[in-house]
Amino acid sequence: MSEHAPAIKLEAPPVELERPRLVSNNRGLGEISDQICDVIERPTPLWWKICMLPALTLLSLLGAMVVYLVTVGVGVWGNQHPVMWGWAIINFVWWIGIGHAGTLISAILFLLRQKWRTSINRASEAMTIFAVMCAGVYPLIHVGRIWYGWWLFPIPNSNGIWPQFRSPLMWDVFAVSTYFTVSVLFWYMGLIPDLAVMRDRCKKFFGKFAYGLFSLGWSGSNRHWRNYEKAYLILAGLSTPLVLSVHSIVSLDFAVSQLPGWHTTIFPPYFVAGAVFSGFGMVLTLLIPLRSVCKLQDIITVRHIELCCKVTLTTGCIVGYAYFMEVFIAWYSGSSFEKYAFWNRAFGPYWWGYWAMIGCNVVVPQFFWFKKIRTNMWIVFFLSILVNVGMWFERFVIVVTTLAREFIPANWGYFNPSPVDIMTYLGTFGLFFTMFLLFLRFLPMIAICEVKAVTPQADPHHPLGGAEEGGHH
Amino acid sequence: MNNSESMKAARQTGPKYWRSLDHLADAPQFRKWVDSEFPSGAEAVADPVTRRNFMKLMSASFLLAGLGMSGCRRPEEKIVPFAKQPLGYTHGRARHFASAMPTRTGAVPVLVKQDDGRPTKVEGNDEHPDSNGGTNAFTQASALNLYDPDRAIRFAKNREGVTREAGLDAIKTIADQAAADKGAGLYILADQAVSPTRDRVRDLLLKKLPGAKWHEYEPVDHDIHRRAATEAFGLPVRPYYKLDEAEVILSLDCDFVGSEEDSALLVGKFAKGRKIDPVHPKMNRLYAVEALFTLTGAAADHRLRVPASAVHRVAAEVAAKVLTDAHFDKPGMAVVKNALVAHGSAPDVQSKWISACADDLKRHAGKCVVIAGQGQSEATHLIAHALNSALGNVGKTVDLLPVPAAKGGSIGELTAALSASKVKSLVILGGNPAYDAPANLDFANAMENAGEVIRLGYHEDESAPKKGWNIPLAHYLESWGDARTVDGTLVPVQPLVAPLFAGMTQIELLARLAGEAVFAPYDLVRETFFGLAGGKNENAWKRFLHDGYHAGSAKAPVTRVRLLVDRVTAAVKAADKQPSAGGAEQEVVFYPDSKVDDGRYNNNGWLQETPDPITKLTWDNAVLMSPATADALGLDNMKGFRDGQHDKILSESDSKVADFHDGEHNITERGEFHPEIVELSLGSRKIEGPAWVVPGMADNVFAVALGYGRSRDAESTGGAGRVGDGTGFNAYPLRAEDGMKFAVGVKVTRTGRRHQLACTQEHGTIDGRALIRETNFDKFTDAESGHADFAKGMNMPHPPGMEELPDHGLAYKNPLDDLRKNATHSWGMAIDMNSCVGCNACALACQSENNVPIVGKQQVIKGREMSWIRLDRYFSGDVNDPQMAHQIMVCQHCEAAPCENVCPVNATTHDDEGLNLMIYNRCVGTRYCSNNCPYKVRRFNYFDYNRRPLDDLYNTPLNPWNRKDGEWELTRWYKDRSKGNIDDDQWDLLALVRNPSVSVRMRGVMEKCTYCIQRIEAAKIAQKVKAGASGNVEVPDGTIKTACQQACPAEAIAFGNIDDPESRVSKLKAQARDYEVLDYLATRPRTTYLGRVRNPNPEMPDYREAPETFQEWEAHGNHLAHHHGHDHDHGPGESHGHDSDHAHDQHQNTEHGETAGKGGDH
Repeated sequence: MSEHAPAIKLEAPPVELERPRLVSNNRGLGEISDQICDVIERPTPLWWKICMLPALTLLSLLGAMVVYLVTVGVGVWGNQHPVMWGWAIINFVWWIGIGHAGTLISAILFLLRQKWRTSINRASEAMTIFAVMCAGVYPLIHVGRIWYGWWLFPIPNSNGIWPQFRSPLMWDVFAVSTYFTVSVLFWYMGLIPDLAVMRDRCKKFFGKFAYGLFSLGWSGSNRHWRNYEKAYLILAGLSTPLVLSVHSIVSLDFAVSQLPGWHTTIFPPYFVAGAVFSGFGMVLTLLIPLRSVCKLQDIITVRHIELCCKVTLTTGCIVGYAYFMEVFIAWYSGSSFEKYAFWNRAFGPYWWGYWAMIGCNVVVPQFFWFKKIRTNMWIVFFLSILVNVGMWFERFVIVVTTLAREFIPANWGYFNPSPVDIMTYLGTFGLFFTMFLLFLRFLPMIAICEVKAVTPQADPHHPLGGAEEGGHH
Repeated sequence: MNNSESMKAARQTGPKYWRSLDHLADAPQFRKWVDSEFPSGAEAVADPVTRRNFMKLMSASFLLAGLGMSGCRRPEEKIVPFAKQPLGYTHGRARHFASAMPTRTGAVPVLVKQDDGRPTKVEGNDEHPDSNGGTNAFTQASALNLYDPDRAIRFAKNREGVTREAGLDAIKTIADQAAADKGAGLYILADQAVSPTRDRVRDLLLKKLPGAKWHEYEPVDHDIHRRAATEAFGLPVRPYYKLDEAEVILSLDCDFVGSEEDSALLVGKFAKGRKIDPVHPKMNRLYAVEALFTLTGAAADHRLRVPASAVHRVAAEVAAKVLTDAHFDKPGMAVVKNALVAHGSAPDVQSKWISACADDLKRHAGKCVVIAGQGQSEATHLIAHALNSALGNVGKTVDLLPVPAAKGGSIGELTAALSASKVKSLVILGGNPAYDAPANLDFANAMENAGEVIRLGYHEDESAPKKGWNIPLAHYLESWGDARTVDGTLVPVQPLVAPLFAGMTQIELLARLAGEAVFAPYDLVRETFFGLAGGKNENAWKRFLHDGYHAGSAKAPVTRVRLLVDRVTAAVKAADKQPSAGGAEQEVVFYPDSKVDDGRYNNNGWLQETPDPITKLTWDNAVLMSPATADALGLDNMKGFRDGQHDKILSESDSKVADFHDGEHNITERGEFHPEIVELSLGSRKIEGPAWVVPGMADNVFAVALGYGRSRDAESTGGAGRVGDGTGFNAYPLRAEDGMKFAVGVKVTRTGRRHQLACTQEHGTIDGRALIRETNFDKFTDAESGHADFAKGMNMPHPPGMEELPDHGLAYKNPLDDLRKNATHSWGMAIDMNSCVGCNACALACQSENNVPIVGKQQVIKGREMSWIRLDRYFSGDVNDPQMAHQIMVCQHCEAAPCENVCPVNATTHDDEGLNLMIYNRCVGTRYCSNNCPYKVRRFNYFDYNRRPLDDLYNTPLNPWNRKDGEWELTRWYKDRSKGNIDDDQWDLLALVRNPSVSVRMRGVMEKCTYCIQRIEAAKIAQKVKAGASGNVEVPDGTIKTACQQACPAEAIAFGNIDDPESRVSKLKAQARDYEVLDYLATRPRTTYLGRVRNPNPEMPDYREAPETFQEWEAHGNHLAHHHGHDHDHGPGESHGHDSDHAHDQHQNTEHGETAGKGGDH
């Protein structure tokens, strides 16, 4: 610094402080289009076929298990008295939770102008939709008389009986169906410009027709873009409260009830944090292999992965705080039933579930404090799987350990899953991966137009951007 | 199932003509005609001339289609219904008939409900002079036995079906032969019964055929009461215990509230002395000396655990202590005294226990009773009689009733005769000797030495002769007979239905054997009655059948009796030479099972699935032993307990309590019990069974329940049936004549193998929770102690500041409060835990009344049993000598029911009378209601338990190879949606036992206790009809009895209108002992409990300052809130209870309450 008074002038920021580019290696707009569309346009790759085989097998397993369940009865599952909800509800909550990352990325990060979201939002939204589909299977099939499942919907009928609006399960029906609808709309909205790109690039008649049909006559005109951006903003605004509401309402399934360990006011925020946590875990699990196998390292950069890790770390800390607060309140409440419930979680017959949860959800994210770990894809991939395992155990601990031992010791029990439980769960992975693989093969997995918009090339005032370089898209 | 197929095959080879109508009904054309909604002839309705003809057609099709068998028709003989004259027979309206269920030593007077010609529900007859209408579990379950698909349904020769005529011919041949030989070579082996007609026909037969020999055998020796009393007093008498008049009771291994034959009666009398009048509190005191932990021990105020073989020593010590007191040293007793005093001394604690107990007996001379159990030797019984005589109880608390002198020999003598080939014809009446005879006799083989065997049996079981005849025995609900109840009152056994499978009664067979011209049971019974009632009086006969008893026929007690002291002395001296368990010696105790008795109820699914009240085991028996004994054997059942790995409680407590709570006594692995199998051997006889630890059992004792281990082998059809086969292990092979009740010197070894048991209660301790509330009588009556209001004092304290808020701080107004203002009734229930002994009668009554299905052992292991009544059993205190407490748990009908607001489809709702309704048709089965029920009383139909065989639950109906009666399940379903995949023959029978007033639930539906809503509605409708224009539609108190309440011999359950301050339930709820389980949840249950009061003697060495559950609760840091028991203001004290019933508030001042006397106010 000089001895004179500082001059009033704007200096260009030092090069090293510039935000890292969201698309690395300075890829041009055309290259981005090519790279993303390449996944679809190439002949069916071998890895895709190899992945599709187990996915379809598991999907048929799901079908078989559902048919078996429906024709025989809920007894084929392990759930019993007193644990009347078993894996079905655990998996429902788990899948719903996973869905949350997609909506958070596409809606909340959009409103917060987090531009890095563009590389991962499409795939995450797809993940959301498929996860909600997997989740949605469970409430339908877990009821004793599936053929009367429609009684949960407020359909005018000659009996004159309406659903019971005081029941959290009723709220679930509305919350989940709204969530699914809005998510699908939002996703589809975002897809329209890219579908048009696909239409324009597609050479086969059927593909051209299908993409053309679904791109709704998109021409990329200014008017279209203007409407599109408005609609996108509106849907983002609509989705944002849903991110918070869905899992809050799912948590009310538990919080509204009487049971020690369920009846707590902390559940809604704690569930939302947990959902985002597990959702980002799943995003990492999916994207890390995907970016390698589809050669998208330039678009889904290490920085993206790092940012996801940071979100995971943050939400993991919130979840850890919630675990601590639950135990504290149980002690502070003075209620012996509450105290016992939490003691039982940690040291009762299901101690392993509790400590698996603590290990995976509280300890594992702490590794993300370290950049070396955040940038090592193998480790991040492994840890992201642990996050998902941990979140499954969280639901297990909540559902099973509470129900197994609550007020009256004489009816305490122990829940064991049946093979059908396990195979149905595996089957939902079949559903998820089948859908996801189809998505990868037929739809652009990255929002082409949005990614382009955040590249320097798209900025007319940027040295690389605007008319000077031009794009050939 | 292979067995069922072989059974079916066996059946199809049976006779044709006696089931001809049945076969006609099965013809496809006929079925089709019947199945069509309007059989051909429907057009006749329009034609008035032929309408009558049509009605005939319709009723014929009803009988065939609805009942599906020719046997199910109304009896031919004239029977008189209890309440309604037959002329108003209305289809669909149930009728009730008085009858009696014969037992070995008496009978249970019953009222049987008949729905359209089929008996469906057995209830106690409360008009009988010696019955309060209570029954036991067996009586309740006996209705299912009638419809047992595996009962003997044919006449069988050499285990092959033959015609009935052939069987009758065979009987005739034997009768003719016997008549020719004057009875020489005719041996009859009968079970025990108290039937004047059987006695009469027997005497007739023996008179006609003087050479014939009569033998009696029962595997469980309930006859010991008669034998011992006869021995002690030198007269044919049996003791009749008036427990209600006793202030102190000493039970010498007598499980009089459980396994004794007259338990229903004894429970009622005992419970009378336990009911506490709030104004003049008073209660009896029970001392129990026992080896097993029985229900009587659980009810006892003091319990001394000693091996069964040492009970007579304890008895002798007590007697010695009493008799050394000059006051009781009556003339003639000196000899007894000397024999007893010389007897030796017991360990310290025991001797303190004994002397304090003896002192208490002495203080209550003439107002106490000493009662010895069926599992005890004659010496113990004789000492008990000596004690009762010395204490002056005879004629006061113990009556000696005259009984007919015993006739006949033992099964041992019969076997000797068989082995000596003296037996030309062997006739077995009832029983199952080939299965349950003493092992040393090898009766099954000895039977084959008989020239001809005729066996009248209820099942084609082990005793169905391989060479000889098996004749189906009629169930008591389909046969004419008579019996005497314990007090000697003559009761009729009336059929409610003609024999379903042409079964025969014992008296008919005897009469046929005697060559009597009259052998119809009806005529025989009538003749006996006329003989006893003094002449042929038709009106008296009708009255007899109508009332279900012959008034005034009770036996007058023998008054002038004298104890034969030399016999007592001799017995005591002889018994002294017998070894007792202890130290290195171990004993095995054989006891009748709480579910299958001696094996006779083995094929009864209701009973098999009812948890044993102590062990909570279903579908199995086990080798019971104390924790120390198991430890000494090195069994790992106690591992969890010893290592303290399992449960620790959050708050520190004193070590004794914590010790016991450190684990389960039988450790579970993943919620399942896989105890090790041990081998028991006595000499060369061996059995194997899974080990099960029961805290509080005497050490060095192994107890095995009789009646299990039935199986069919390939070549024969013998066994219990499709339900009972393969359950448990058979204890009879270990039991010989020299040790029928217990045997010292058993050797026990571990096998290393394991067997899975289905236990319905995984956690046996209460963990300091205020679910069961108990105190001691001295504290309860002491105003200073603060225990007068102990039940409400154990409520969880409200957070500070809540009390000042309106409605006791409940945030929301209960919507029911408004509805209730306009309701005619407010239903509620009170359960007196002081009277309840945990006998399971209520559970079986509920099962029978409410069509509660059974689910099988594998489903019980998964915790999916369907019973609407759960009997929670808790141990507390020292694991070696704990206290036991029971609590029946049913739907609490909460006013603010947590189940209701979580059901998404409105399938469970409230009505204005306070019932928590379950609408099966609306239920989709989310099971959320069960999760949110803090009492966990809802049960879910995980499978179609009613429509699928229990071994076929996991099979999908889509499986085309899964066929029943040659038809694919889906085809069957398409044709008849109700039938499911159960064999047709089983289905027809199982459908008959159902209560038509209660819907049968399908899979995927939640169910629970309804307070017997069908009974409530029936009473309300009847009251409306009666009210007419008067508008008085309020059902009077006592009109409605729930099934559990009706069956309860202790009258522990009261149900009624809690808005009526005079109703019995209101009065009970107004008592200070009334409390809500889980009060702090503010669910405001309509079912409340009356806290239990124990009455320990402070002089006893095992006196506890407070009951163990109370101590445990305090050890968890709780303190009794100070309550003003007599303060009726809305003070802070009272507001703890959320009592919404204003009956409580308004009427606490009035003097009322459950009187200690008979609950005859209904």
